[in-house]
Amino acid sequence: MPLLQATGVTKQFGGLRALSNVDLTVEEGEIVGVIGPNGAGKTTFFNCLTGMETRTSGEILFRGAPLPTRPDRVTVAGVARTFQNIRLFHNMTVLENVLVGTHPRSRAGVLSAIGRGPRYKREERKAESTSRELLSFVKLDGLRGELAKSLSYGDQRRLEIARALATDPGLLLLDEPTAGMNASETAGAIALVKAIRARGIGIVLIEHDMRFVFGLCDRVAVLVHGEKMVEGSPAQVQSDERVISAYLGRPAE
Amino acid sequence: MTQFFQQLSDGVVLGALYALIALGYTMVYGIVQLINFAHGEIFMVGAFGGYTIYHYLLPDNMPALVALPIVLVASMITSGVLAAIVERLAYRPLRNAPRLAPLITAIGVSIALQEMIRLFYPNADRGEPFPQLFPNGQVHFGGVSESYVNCFLVVLSVVLMLALRTFVLHSATGRAMRATAQDPDTARLMGINIDRIIVTTFVLGGLLAGAAGTLQGMVASPIDFQIGFIAGLKAFTAAVLGGIGNITGAVLGGFVLGIVEALATQYVPNGSALKDAFAFVVLILVLVFRPTGLLGESVRARA
Amino acid sequence: MIPMLQRALRIQHTWNLPLRTCQAMAAAAFVLEVVGTNLAWATYTGFPGLMSLSFYPAGARSYVLALSVALALVAVRFTRRRQAGIWASLASFALTLQTLIAISRDGGGLVNVSAGAWITLLGTILGIIAFVALPDDGAPLPSSWPRLPRVLDGLAVVAGIGAAMLLLVYGLSVDPANQFVGLVIALIGGLAALNRLGLFAWLGALYARQQGLSLALIGLAAISFPFTQNGESYWLRVGANVGVLAAAAIGLNVVVGLAGLLDLGYIAFFGVGAYVAALYGNAGLGPSRGHIPFLLIVPLGALVSGLIGVIIGAPTLRLRGDYLAIVTLGFGEIFRIVVNTYDGFTGGPNGLANIPDLAFGSFNFGLPHKVFGITLQGFANYYWAELVLIAIVVFVFSRLDRSRIGRAWVAIREDELAAAAMGINTVAYKLLAFGIGASVAGGSGTIQAHVATQVSPDSFVFMQSVLLLAAVVLGGMGTVPGALVGAAILYAVPEKLRAFSDYRLLIFGVLLILVMRFRPEGMIASKRRQREFHDTEASGSDALSAPPGFAGAVP
Repeated sequence: MPLLQATGVTKQFGGLRALSNVDLTVEEGEIVGVIGPNGAGKTTFFNCLTGMETRTSGEILFRGAPLPTRPDRVTVAGVARTFQNIRLFHNMTVLENVLVGTHPRSRAGVLSAIGRGPRYKREERKAESTSRELLSFVKLDGLRGELAKSLSYGDQRRLEIARALATDPGLLLLDEPTAGMNASETAGAIALVKAIRARGIGIVLIEHDMRFVFGLCDRVAVLVHGEKMVEGSPAQVQSDERVISAYLGRPAE
Repeated sequence: MTQFFQQLSDGVVLGALYALIALGYTMVYGIVQLINFAHGEIFMVGAFGGYTIYHYLLPDNMPALVALPIVLVASMITSGVLAAIVERLAYRPLRNAPRLAPLITAIGVSIALQEMIRLFYPNADRGEPFPQLFPNGQVHFGGVSESYVNCFLVVLSVVLMLALRTFVLHSATGRAMRATAQDPDTARLMGINIDRIIVTTFVLGGLLAGAAGTLQGMVASPIDFQIGFIAGLKAFTAAVLGGIGNITGAVLGGFVLGIVEALATQYVPNGSALKDAFAFVVLILVLVFRPTGLLGESVRARA
Repeated sequence: MIPMLQRALRIQHTWNLPLRTCQAMAAAAFVLEVVGTNLAWATYTGFPGLMSLSFYPAGARSYVLALSVALALVAVRFTRRRQAGIWASLASFALTLQTLIAISRDGGGLVNVSAGAWITLLGTILGIIAFVALPDDGAPLPSSWPRLPRVLDGLAVVAGIGAAMLLLVYGLSVDPANQFVGLVIALIGGLAALNRLGLFAWLGALYARQQGLSLALIGLAAISFPFTQNGESYWLRVGANVGVLAAAAIGLNVVVGLAGLLDLGYIAFFGVGAYVAALYGNAGLGPSRGHIPFLLIVPLGALVSGLIGVIIGAPTLRLRGDYLAIVTLGFGEIFRIVVNTYDGFTGGPNGLANIPDLAFGSFNFGLPHKVFGITLQGFANYYWAELVLIAIVVFVFSRLDRSRIGRAWVAIREDELAAAAMGINTVAYKLLAFGIGASVAGGSGTIQAHVATQVSPDSFVFMQSVLLLAAVVLGGMGTVPGALVGAAILYAVPEKLRAFSDYRLLIFGVLLILVMRFRPEGMIASKRRQREFHDTEASGSDALSAPPGFAGAVP
């Protein structure tokens, strides 16, 4: 059973078809890249997967069960994401940001938060140790007490990833994880993505940095004008005539 | 049945007034996504502006039909200038603040304006009689009758609405307003002076509210310092009903709300006592069942 | 004018006179003020504060004198003195001017103002110049205050709370409205000056270290307040009214301050509780529905209010926040109109009256009681009952604030979409905050019905909602002390200013605008709120120079 199986995902904005009949399958522990020119519908695809936009049609199965269509339920079901324009909780500390991420994996309600019984305390301790572990996983352990907004750009991206990992996902969607990073930070990001896969998490990433995509992904899908043009191994995609022309702007025929 | 049509006709009169005020809410919302809570007070102060001009500046023996346009324009200018001042002093400094800040400021402005009027005009709490500048008399149409001044209200409102429509659709400033509403950042890049457009929007809304102020004074004298509160809320409801941000929607919402209120007052038991509650019931129902309003786009939190 | 003031207070000035010159001017100002305050200010007797006597600096003159002594100390001793000095000298100027005008008005002309007042005024102007002319020395450093040894820490907490308590009792005893206004001016200026010197940041840290002791002492001070009233009931009645509203304000603070939802019909939930208590509390006048023991009425009122809150909130909380503001406002109006209309059920415009005092067994809340030989009027009992309510609400509030639930609220406030992406059911959490707020209001309303002995629709108008909101905003969104201080100020200070009661609402309106413009985080700011409100300005250096506020005062 594939981890994620999206079939015929279509999104219509008024008269504009932002996505038409996009299929995508992700196996356990796989890294899949989604590339394409600006405006090809890559982020819209992520938004449809995570319920941030309602898809016009299409079916999305996660571990064989239909994925809910509300963002919070998608996360609870086990699909987490980051955002193209980083969306951290700016005025919370680094640690607090990750603690928020543990939300779906804890369940203290109003009464136990007021009563603070042993179960509540155990859960809080666990959330905190998970968060600390994740921060050291993304190499931010020295910055726990800093405000999220005071971090550097690359650190913010990594914090966003740690926060998403805190929701304990089976599948992680990364929207341009290296945007705005310098060469050494990008190298770090490659290592990080591999390390995430090593934790048994499947990954779909949107990227413009071709070296990053082709060096890292097991499979690459190319979206052009809302349609999936090609899908295959990096080598196949790299040598595909249509992809080259789509990128260089020549007519596809 | 006659009664039904009479209520319908009264509803249209009421609706024209709501629509005029609602336009101010909807335009400002369209441009800056702010509920200008003080808009009702801008309307109220406009009414007092017209009243003041009539009582303190115009000669006593001036013919009513000469005084009318002067009072009307005075109301409009008062409200327009006030709207610009409020935007400049209260809202502009908070344009990048968290959303709660301008909303609370708006409440502060609203109270401050009410209180200034109450303190300044000795009878503003019991009501100042507004000059009656229109000949008495009734138009009869079948069994339905409306006073001349009510008819004037509807006609003038429609004229003003059409003028606004022409301005927004066909003037350069109107185009800039629409561009800003669509995408302020791009509009700025295109060389549009956003600050000026925003002030213009406030002023336009103020002008219409001022006109509504004079009209309200003439059909429902006396005026007091609280008329803006309820009228503002109802006009806001009208704007939401039509789809906030949508100019045509505000007009439609105004008329629908006016008619609903007139009919409900007549046909719901205890209706006249509950008169002011209907608008809120409508508002809540709209938000539950069609939060985008009759003509509006999505108002759900934007992704 | 305000931007100018703002500029003078915050931004580097170009005068940059040498320190020595400024100190000389400050010294001259000090001499003038001391001389001036020791001379007569008025030619006629009868103005409060014995203003016609020389060598007797009473009344407002004592405040000026105190400020000028403080200023002299600032000028000599402290390094970060410019902003503090400007605040304090502005306050003494405003205070002198206000008194001078009052003397002139009451006496019928400026001829009735004696030389002392003019000399003092001159001194205060010179003082302002002296400090404005100083080179800008930036914001205070927290480290410029010593860290005390543990024992002294505790003593400092005791002294601080004791001083605040004495100040409160003294403030309440200041009678003539003019002098009270003077006191308020002096306090605002003085506290702002101390804040600029970093005192409150230091105190905040101190109190945070000594949290248990501080809380216990504040509780003790609150409990002992009735004993300071010499058997009088006036301020106890005020205290009882303030207490109810303070509890409600904390509830509103959950909604506005924690979850960031603007509720403009909050008083209606309070009203629901009050009506529940009146209908089931044997009201003498109006349609009573029987009697339920009060200890059940409180949760019942809270429950009914909370349910209504959920019913109102469920459809609207899906939408943008602004809609909630208007819908709650609409609900507030509907509540009032409906209660007004269906008089068979609610007593209509007359409401319900003659609600009996609470009684547990033979203990009647309405009667005076003797404790430790001190006679306490009946309102003391209600006051204490409210303290219990407040304590419960505060406890719940702070537990929720620092929990998984509080984190979810903050996340929603910061970025709703990102919060949803973290698996937070945003609608449910907003609804939770809204419901809790409504319940707290309902619970406090049940007590209010007995304190006021009557309920009627007039008590639950929009302006009451605004006053509660103003209390929360002014005090500080998201903090318990903020809500308490805000409620106390907004409801107790007007009692002192009955002479100006006509201007009360105007002042509140203007206050809301100014607070949102210049100090949106309120008097006692939550640290996070402060960061949010100054988010847009925060480009590195600005963030550092942002006013430290009373930030640390929040445990």
